[in-house]
Amino acid sequence: MTQPVGEVGQRPTKPRPKLTVVLGLVAAVVFTLYSAQQVDMRVSTFVDMWTNPLWEKFWPIEWDWVLDRSHVIDPLIETFQIGIISAVIGCSLALPVSFAMSRLTAPNRGVYYVTKAVMNVVRAVPDLFWAKLLVTAVGVGAFAGAWALSIFSLAVMVKLFSEEVDSADPRPLEAAKAAGGRHLPSVATGVLPTVFPAYVAYSLYVLELNIRASLVLGLVGAGGIGRVIEAQRGAFQFDRILGILVIIFAVVFILEQISVALRRRLV
Amino acid sequence: MTDTTSTEPDTSTQRPARPVAPRVWKWAISAVILVAATWSITGLDVSIDRLTSAPGDAWNILKRMWPPAFAEEIDRGVIGKVLESVYIAWIGTVIGAVISLPLSFLAASNVSPVWIRLPMRQLFNAIRAVPELIVAMIILAVTGLGPWAGALAIGIHSVGTLGKLSSEAVESIDAGPIEAVEAAGGRWISSMRWAVFPQVLPTVVSYWLFRFEINVRASAVLGMIGAGGVGSELVSQLNFRNFPEVGAVLFVTVVAVVSIDTLSAMVRRRIIQGGTGGEGSRNDEALADLTGISLR
Repeated sequence: MTQPVGEVGQRPTKPRPKLTVVLGLVAAVVFTLYSAQQVDMRVSTFVDMWTNPLWEKFWPIEWDWVLDRSHVIDPLIETFQIGIISAVIGCSLALPVSFAMSRLTAPNRGVYYVTKAVMNVVRAVPDLFWAKLLVTAVGVGAFAGAWALSIFSLAVMVKLFSEEVDSADPRPLEAAKAAGGRHLPSVATGVLPTVFPAYVAYSLYVLELNIRASLVLGLVGAGGIGRVIEAQRGAFQFDRILGILVIIFAVVFILEQISVALRRRLV
Repeated sequence: MTDTTSTEPDTSTQRPARPVAPRVWKWAISAVILVAATWSITGLDVSIDRLTSAPGDAWNILKRMWPPAFAEEIDRGVIGKVLESVYIAWIGTVIGAVISLPLSFLAASNVSPVWIRLPMRQLFNAIRAVPELIVAMIILAVTGLGPWAGALAIGIHSVGTLGKLSSEAVESIDAGPIEAVEAAGGRWISSMRWAVFPQVLPTVVSYWLFRFEINVRASAVLGMIGAGGVGSELVSQLNFRNFPEVGAVLFVTVVAVVSIDTLSAMVRRRIIQGGTGGEGSRNDEALADLTGISLR
């Protein structure tokens, strides 16, 4: 059978879509419709929101209150402190745990699987669930928040960094072992130097992530600026909340600029 | 062995001098970390006895969660609440995807003029800067409690992150097809539809799925402030200190999150297979989505 060549105006036939793709699309549409019904999706909400008299409470921003040191600045500093200490703790612990969770450097199979399972469970619990759990365990305040974020950032960091260790060059490790090195010194001299730059870069990420996360910890009683937002929400002081939001906004923006600049210099 | 050719017999045993600069950096950075950590601890109001008793307290609570009270929790409808979190996350992702897709074309530097690109980018940055919990809080205040408020908050936040990631996907495409469409006389919209869209679709869809995974966690958290889903159940059981019930809620949540992650990762791998996303892009993607910022 010969294909008619050079016939003007004839388009190539369009390939038919695969069955899996069609089924996947249908499933996605059905699930979307069902979910929309389950969450009471209503377009009228937008009209309600637009005409809601509550918006007037957002303006004008009560700057006198917001810029008072004890109201916003001190809790914001506490937020940074939670973010920094939990990043330091999380990332320091992540270094040995990541080596235990990489196929390349795990001392044995058992350690590898146990670490991996535990870390997967820890990571599957959302950060604010940890915060609420620890608030219940050790009491309301920044201490619980710092601890919750340490746990969560440990899990995130281990996930990221252990994959980096997985993809490290195995040859220096083999060389160290062939020269008679024991396991830990071999890892320290054969693998650590090659993955350390990635470790630093990921640590910066985790720091940024933690500071962002610590902004909302206070909503569940775990300290920081979120506590102030929660209190003002209870009092319907939305003008103050908007002021706090403007400050958070500026903080996150500056943080991101610093982080991007640092990372560009490092990577 | 004759030594006639060797003019430098000792160098084999002599070590090269260690460079000074890296060591200085090492000490400087360690000092900065130490100072920052110390400063942070001072603000946290920790006494030694609190620090030493805390692990015990946490362990006690963990112990009291065992065995989890599954029967009671299933009676209280925990499965339905976890599913509600999943629905919220899905609707939020769909809203984010539908709105961010056209906007991401407008924010990409290779296909969009500067006067529209810059405002779009700033819009994405602005949205990403506000945590979704706070967005949800404001929406909740205006609309009243319920899952739709949560879905809306997640949707708004997803527009920011997905918009940024998708516009970067658009920026990394091959420009050839665009030129082809333009050479054939196509207008801007045709080149978007026939040259850009097919190139970015696999990447963008995998971002959507990735965002869905993140959103499941986010919607679980949103329930804690009354936006529907499993979070409210966790908070009320923790407030009443019914730890076996808490254990059950956590267990069901973890199972749901892990199975959705696994399923979504499978689909994403299928979608990206044969695409441009090679090995090693996995981490970048994970990072990008966790923080909403891209490594590249």
